[in-house]
Amino acid sequence: MKHIAKIMAFFMAVTAVWISLLQTAMISQSHTWLLPLYFIVSLGCYGLLMVGVGLMQFPTCPQEAVLLQQDVIEAKQFLKHNGVDVGTD
Amino acid sequence: MELADRAVGFILSSISVTIFTYYTFWVIILPFVDKDHFVHNYFLPQEYAILLPVYAGVTLICFLSVFIGYVMLKSKKKKA
Repeated sequence: MKHIAKIMAFFMAVTAVWISLLQTAMISQSHTWLLPLYFIVSLGCYGLLMVGVGLMQFPTCPQEAVLLQQDVIEAKQFLKHNGVDVGTD
Repeated sequence: MELADRAVGFILSSISVTIFTYYTFWVIILPFVDKDHFVHNYFLPQEYAILLPVYAGVTLICFLSVFIGYVMLKSKKKKA
């Protein structure tokens, strides 16, 4: 529950800042009305960017893949030798 | 398959950067530019800057609801 309370407090603070920006009109009114939508769109863009960057930097570990295949073959042989059914070969 | 992953990641990143710069330009910079500057031809009218994200968000929510409903129906039919 405490986590939700923190998130709600943060949301209330952001809303208060936005309403105060609307009232004092430091930035022009039309800009301030569009500010929440702009932040939502930029958040979606940021998420997409992080997904793309993570995809580009994903390590594939080719040596470990080969070792893993050898381990699988070894385990299948051992189990078949001991009488366990390992399915399709 | 590493190259395919890198290509998809690069395409996603470039799409997100494009959308971000275009939208920033549209919402923040364009109102400060004079009305008869040539750059206004490259951007749709300002109402679409609000309509397009709202429309995309509503489409996303509809798609998610349809998907969740479909999965729920399928699981209920398999149990009965």
